[in-house]
Amino acid sequence: MQFLANPTRFLRIANAVLPYVWAITVALFAVGLYGALVTAPPDYQQGETVRIMYVHVPAAWMALFVYTVMALASAVAAIFRHPLADVAAKTAAPIGAVFCFLSLATGSLWGKPMWGAWWVWDARLTSMFVLMLLYIGYMAIWAAIEEPHRAAMVARVVALVGFINIPIVKFSVDWWNSLHQPASVFRMGGPTIAGPMLWPLLVMGLAYALLFLALHLTAMRAEIAARKIRQIQIAEIGDR
Amino acid sequence: MDFSANHIGFVIASYALSVVFLASLVITTLGRDRKLRAEAERLDTQRKKARA
Repeated sequence: MQFLANPTRFLRIANAVLPYVWAITVALFAVGLYGALVTAPPDYQQGETVRIMYVHVPAAWMALFVYTVMALASAVAAIFRHPLADVAAKTAAPIGAVFCFLSLATGSLWGKPMWGAWWVWDARLTSMFVLMLLYIGYMAIWAAIEEPHRAAMVARVVALVGFINIPIVKFSVDWWNSLHQPASVFRMGGPTIAGPMLWPLLVMGLAYALLFLALHLTAMRAEIAARKIRQIQIAEIGDR
Repeated sequence: MDFSANHIGFVIASYALSVVFLASLVITTLGRDRKLRAEAERLDTQRKKARA
C-alpha cells in the first residue's frame, strides 16, 4: 500500500489501467444484462418480478462494500498518515451513496408487488436506511468544513464509528425476525439459488464492482487535480 | 422476458432507475475529472511561464 502512497505513481498506474477497467465493465454489463433479462427464467412464485434482483442485490452488496472501503481508508489515514487514504475515502462516498439509494429504491419497487407495501420498518430495511444517512452525513462533513485537514479528521471519525452498522445490515436478517429474506448467495453451505439465476447475478455483481473501481479511480484522479489547483492558488496568493 | 406479465412495470421502473442514476454518476464523474485535470494543467503551465 505504501507503494501507492505517492500521488504521481498512483496517477501513472490509474491512467494505465483505467481504459481496461472501463472496457471490462462494459463487457460484463452486456453479459450480465443478457443473462438477467433474456436467459434467466422467471421465478415460480415471483414471476418476472424476480428480475429486479439483478439490479437490487448488486447495488446492496456495493453499498456495504464501498462503506467498508471508506472505513478501511479512514483507518489507514488515521494510523499511517497515507496521503491518498483520505482522498480514497472522500471520493468513494458519493458512489456508495448512489448504490445505497438504488438498493433502497429498487427494493421498494420489488416490495410493493411482493409484500404489498413500498416500505416496512424491519431490521434490514431500517439498517440500510441508516447506512444511507451515514453516507449523506459523511459527504455533508466534507462539504461543510472548509479547512481540508479538519474535514478529513471529522470525516474519519464518522466513517469509523459508522462502520458498526455494516455487520448490523449483514446479519440483521439472522438476528431479528425480518420480512426480508435471509442471505441466499454468500452463506454457509453455499448458494440456494438455481444455477440459471445465479450466474447472471454473479456477473452483475462483478460488473457493479468493476464500475465502482473505474469510478473510484477516476474520482480520485479528479480529486488529486482539485488539490493541485488549490495548492497553485495558495502559492499564487503567497507570491503577491 | 414476458412484457405482458403481472407487475412488469415495477421491473421496467427498477432497470430504468438504475440506468439513469448510474449513467448520471458516470457522466458527472468523467466530466469533473476532465474539467479539473484541464484546469490544473492550465494553471501549472501559466505558473511555469510566469516564473520563466
